[in-house]
Amino acid sequence: MSENKEFLSVKDLVVEYMSDGQVVHAVNGVSLKLERGKTLGLVGETGAGKTTIAKSILQILPDVGCRIAGGEVHLDGEDLLKLPEHEMRKIRGNKISMIFQDPMTALNPVQRVGDQIAEVVRLHSDDKSHAHCEKRAKEMLEIVGIPAERYYEYPHQFSGGMKQRVVIAIALACNPDLLLADEPTTALDVTIQAQVLDLIAELREKYNTAMLLITHDMGVVAQVCDDVAVIYAGNIVEYGTKEQIFDHPTHPYTVGLFGAIPSMSEDEEWLHPIDGLPPDPTDLPQGCAFAPRCKYATDECRKGPIAVYKTADGHDCRCCNMNKIAEQEG
Amino acid sequence: MAPVIEVQNLKKYFPTPRGLLHAVDDVTFTIEKGKTLGVVGESGCGKSTLGRTIIHLHESTSGKVLLEGEPVNNLKGKALRAAREKMQIIFQDPYSSLDPRKTADQTIREPLLVSGKYSKKEIEEKTTELMDLVGIDERLRKAYPHELDGGRRQRIGIARALALDPKFVVCDEPVSALDVSIQAQVLNLLKKLQQDKGLTYMFVTHDMSVVRHISDDICVMYLGQVVEKCPSKELFKNPLHPYTQALLSAIPSTDIHHPTKRMVLKGEITSPINPKPGCRFAARCPYATEACHQPQKQEEVSTGHFVTCCRIHEL
Repeated sequence: MSENKEFLSVKDLVVEYMSDGQVVHAVNGVSLKLERGKTLGLVGETGAGKTTIAKSILQILPDVGCRIAGGEVHLDGEDLLKLPEHEMRKIRGNKISMIFQDPMTALNPVQRVGDQIAEVVRLHSDDKSHAHCEKRAKEMLEIVGIPAERYYEYPHQFSGGMKQRVVIAIALACNPDLLLADEPTTALDVTIQAQVLDLIAELREKYNTAMLLITHDMGVVAQVCDDVAVIYAGNIVEYGTKEQIFDHPTHPYTVGLFGAIPSMSEDEEWLHPIDGLPPDPTDLPQGCAFAPRCKYATDECRKGPIAVYKTADGHDCRCCNMNKIAEQEG
Repeated sequence: MAPVIEVQNLKKYFPTPRGLLHAVDDVTFTIEKGKTLGVVGESGCGKSTLGRTIIHLHESTSGKVLLEGEPVNNLKGKALRAAREKMQIIFQDPYSSLDPRKTADQTIREPLLVSGKYSKKEIEEKTTELMDLVGIDERLRKAYPHELDGGRRQRIGIARALALDPKFVVCDEPVSALDVSIQAQVLNLLKKLQQDKGLTYMFVTHDMSVVRHISDDICVMYLGQVVEKCPSKELFKNPLHPYTQALLSAIPSTDIHHPTKRMVLKGEITSPINPKPGCRFAARCPYATEACHQPQKQEEVSTGHFVTCCRIHEL
């Protein structure tokens, strides 16, 4: 087993949806790496393809109208995309599990919350006895801070924050090696978000779990992640350590994202929005997808595929004018 | 001159099978012309109900709302309709607050038609003017909501709210469904419209960075009550109520080198049904004592800075 290095590696992943006879280019050649115990943040706006990447890793994309058109997903050296479905079933919820965005819809409303946790345990544990599964489910409830006697209650009896804890308990019940967290705190209030982020951090440290965190909140990224990938129109435009991205954002889109957030420390009369809208994924522009909104765009940007440039060790930026912009802006 | 909006001891209780739900409980404030009052708090604290009660979408249980010095919460019929032209609302979710079967111009035109004050020609002119004002392209005049992105839909919602030249607009989480790059566009638009037209806003949100950017004064709400109220800058510099402090410290900061010291609250918001007298935050407050379970008084700690907390001087 390859220790630590490249526990998860995604190479040139391409995912397409079919919609009304048109091809939606959701993910266009994404490559990323994740080590054990580390957290990679996937940041981007609605429709950028973040969730599709996570779903491709777990292979839970819809059967109809969607296909992985290319690429590899290696977990511990094994290409998941080549595995037959019955092998993949053993991995889902066991080695890789996912925390879904909306706790209100991720749970089954007519099943007791405890039973929903026990179900995962039963699927993946050798001991399938009712007593064992129930015991483990109760343990998990306690771990996420819910009294075990609430095992027999239904989701509607729980608040939003507690439902998200149940979703986390389900995801962590089998001590996964890789956790895919899709906007785990977006539906929650800030004080509850703080509790849930602390809980995830604590559990990850305990079990050395790797995590792919999908979010649009730069604050959450700053708090939780080791590495960051900024994604735009199905492509990673900038990739690096948290320090590299936050201290030296290089791609015009990343710079724009930071600029659009209202500051908590400085007073500005006007915000700096990114003009225009994200491109239509059925009709992506040639060249850089961000070019139509980019104030630095030149003819070169609109020509062919844009290569990835390195600004520093491990800091990638997909922008052909990177150096010129750096000079201009000093 | 009278303030544009004056709210006095406003209460809104909803009857439920388990008792009275105190959604808004004894809220008092005023907003001067051209100013923005930010109302922040977590989901279920009554901030949206407060906005809706002020503009009479809900009938208030007790208390008074004065619009430019005139009481509005007991109005009926024609007088209420006339008052409503002056108070409008921009809703949170641009996906559900527009009629899916109306085109952009139909939605914007509707308030003008309903008011009955304008001729056909005037309505057409005003619709075009409004679309221009909020930055909707002429080519999107006949577009349906499903053809538009969230930012553009919200612009239509704004145009509809401004159609009758209101004095006062309740902005109920107008940007929380939008991505940051689009959010910034809409916030700038709202601010520009305020400057050009002298609008008065009540801006309801749960996002502290947004409220800091747009507000002159801020009310922090917890379970139907205002726990702290002061000018925006003062709130972020000198938050006094323990809940405000917790709320501010819980915001994940984008400053990676100076992580904020977080005050993580225990537990969750308690039930607003038949709440006990005393501070409603006491159950989660790290500083709570016996005295907190007695009825609380609002106190002006420094000029314009109101706090409802009996332990404020000890902390």
